[in-house]
Amino acid sequence: MLFNTIPFAIFLPIVYLLYWLLSKQKLVFQNILLLIASYFFYACWDYRFLFLLIFSTLLDYSTGIKMNAANSQSEKKFWFWLSIIINLGFLGVFKYYNFFAESFAGLLTQFGLTVHLSTLNVILPVGISFYTFHGLSYVIDIYYNRIRAEKNYIDYAVFVSFFPLLVAGPIERATHLLPQIQRKREFNLANSVDGLRQILWGLFKKIVIADQCAIHANDIFNNSSEFEGSTLVLGALFFAFQIYGDFSGYSDIALGTARLFGIELLRNFSFPYFSRDIAEFWRRWHISLSTWFRDYLYIPLGGNKGSLGNKVRNTFVIFLVSGFWHGANWTFIAWGLLNALYFMPLLLTGSNRTHLGTVAENKIFPTLKELTAMLVTFSLTCFAWIFFRANNLTHAFEFIRKIFTKKLFQLPSVSPISVIVLLIIFILIEWAGREQQYALANFGLKWHRVFRFGFYYLLIVLIFWFCGKEQQFIYFQF
Amino acid sequence: MKKFFIKLCWFLAPFLIIAYPLDYFLSLQLSKGHDYPGEFEVWNDIYNKKINSEIAIYGSSRAWVQFNTKIVEDSSGLSCYNFGIDGHNFYMQYLRHLEYIKHNRKPKYIILSADFFSLQRRKDLYQPDQFLPYMLWNKNMAFYTKDYIKYGFADFYLPLIRFGGQQNANKSIIISILRSKKQEPFRYKGYKGMEKTWNNDLEDAKKKNKQVQVIYHEPTIHLLKKFLTDCKQDSIRVAIVYAPEHKEGQAYVKDRDILIQHFKDIAEEAKIPFLDYSMDTLCNSKNYFYNASHLNKLGSDIFTRTLIKDLKQQNFLK
Repeated sequence: MLFNTIPFAIFLPIVYLLYWLLSKQKLVFQNILLLIASYFFYACWDYRFLFLLIFSTLLDYSTGIKMNAANSQSEKKFWFWLSIIINLGFLGVFKYYNFFAESFAGLLTQFGLTVHLSTLNVILPVGISFYTFHGLSYVIDIYYNRIRAEKNYIDYAVFVSFFPLLVAGPIERATHLLPQIQRKREFNLANSVDGLRQILWGLFKKIVIADQCAIHANDIFNNSSEFEGSTLVLGALFFAFQIYGDFSGYSDIALGTARLFGIELLRNFSFPYFSRDIAEFWRRWHISLSTWFRDYLYIPLGGNKGSLGNKVRNTFVIFLVSGFWHGANWTFIAWGLLNALYFMPLLLTGSNRTHLGTVAENKIFPTLKELTAMLVTFSLTCFAWIFFRANNLTHAFEFIRKIFTKKLFQLPSVSPISVIVLLIIFILIEWAGREQQYALANFGLKWHRVFRFGFYYLLIVLIFWFCGKEQQFIYFQF
Repeated sequence: MKKFFIKLCWFLAPFLIIAYPLDYFLSLQLSKGHDYPGEFEVWNDIYNKKINSEIAIYGSSRAWVQFNTKIVEDSSGLSCYNFGIDGHNFYMQYLRHLEYIKHNRKPKYIILSADFFSLQRRKDLYQPDQFLPYMLWNKNMAFYTKDYIKYGFADFYLPLIRFGGQQNANKSIIISILRSKKQEPFRYKGYKGMEKTWNNDLEDAKKKNKQVQVIYHEPTIHLLKKFLTDCKQDSIRVAIVYAPEHKEGQAYVKDRDILIQHFKDIAEEAKIPFLDYSMDTLCNSKNYFYNASHLNKLGSDIFTRTLIKDLKQQNFLK
């Protein structure tokens, strides 16, 4: 069940109504409803993998309790590593086995050895990277005594499986989400209205921006050998907006949906394309994943403490792992590596925390310096997206080689004016709302109701006009 | 919470109030167009109960470009309507038959145009937008299109949903609204003669596949047999006609003789006439065709006259 489909439009109001009808009952009934709804939501994709989700939940739930009850550090360590190994084992088998098998066979071929390692014909269970990371953060936090193990299975299972975040995040932390699940939720009108508004904006981003950009990005990337440099640049640009609209749109729908149920999820995007350097970009892009890696990988490795060599090593590790998290393909690793290289000058000059606030705060226009910085950062990001989108490294290098030819300065052979106009309007609205949680949060709130509603109706009409063929969310594959 | 629902209702009220009238309006505007060569005209005539014909011609594009309704009427003295539906097998031709007899007087005679495509079942819903104006709460259409991915339950039972994302159809609607003059009909009672000369379709097809193989779809064959039985019960006389195909086109169909035998057997079982024009002199000349399986206007006029003469000789038309 995708967020942008009719079944979800039927599912959500039913669960929402039942949920608030139960608000006068005990909290446990609301949580049971959320759990049933979440499992149903997941089973709609493939009921067989529901058992994997339940197993993963039970594993972390019970190892968490065992760690808390452990009489010795070694016993605690045993349960901790058991959970880590099984969790990563599942991830490894479902997501990375074929990659390692093929890469290993390829490496041996380089040395003149031919091996036939059998690959697995398995489907990647949707959301496995996300719910595994939920579980991992939970057991790591217990191991380091940051939290106590949750004894109520229902509460813990809702934390792992809450349907808005189940398949593509945000990657939540027990310290943030569990207390909300355990607390009585009161209906709040402003929250509900705001939740709907955020869902509307998310749908607009996904259906109008991402899916329309996807048509052209796919065409250009899939037939890159037929296009000249300028069109390929346009393709990279379209992909940049496709992936942003797709994933941040998904996150907006997830956050808006959770807000309807009185739950605040972690923010995942904060207008990353208005970043002035790559460090700022990474503080604004897929925030829940970046902070996860920061807290559970970068800092344990030493973070920015220690020698320069250590700092550099840690930065490369975090970016490479982040790239690899996205999928079993060298393209993602190259993407991570490229971002690490972008980050190096900032790290080496100690300027990676220069831009902590919002660009052009309380101003309408950025300064020329800010604008230039944003454009440079965006261009670097677009360049890195080529690796992310390409089918393989050869495709990526060929794509880049074709960009840097004389034909770069020709007019592109595709000119989807309507999409470009939509993109300009989208960027302007995002710019206007860049100091808010999401672009539409305050947009038009001071307008007369007729105009405000008119604007929302316009968004709905555009969504309706472009909705057509259901497009999978890109991050579902991760 | 009550306040939230009131607010939500206020917000959604305009949509809910105008949903059905707007659906009707959009359907009407779309159905005025000539898109999907004249299919809307046929559907409109069916749903507006405008057909009061004694002879009905069924089939694919080989029906609507080859059986000249005017000549049928003039030669037979009976009223005629051509229901040929572009690019569809018998399965979807049957849907058109059902809708036709549901909303109009039944015909006395049905001439079923057969081709190598009839007993197959295509995987995609060809020209799906042609169904848009007539889909809402249309159970027959919902049933016969349900196996195709294109439309879902909500498209058939909730107003406006099916227009979502139909950018081509929605553009046609806008053009139709902006058009000041009423368009002249594209087809005459479902028929359109093609003033074209021989093109490269066959050569292009041969580049892709040396020959084409008929993949029989058993449920469609059963449906055809059921259709023939039903017609007999309703006292509708049916004749199966295999209209001329150019000899090069005939050679392009693998095991064509088996296909013809299939139709012969079906006709024999139902005790109805089967007229095969595979050996007709028209098949030898490209002057009468615009591609291997479609006669041009000149060819279709000659063929229709011959057909009516033959049907009279066989005492099919009385």
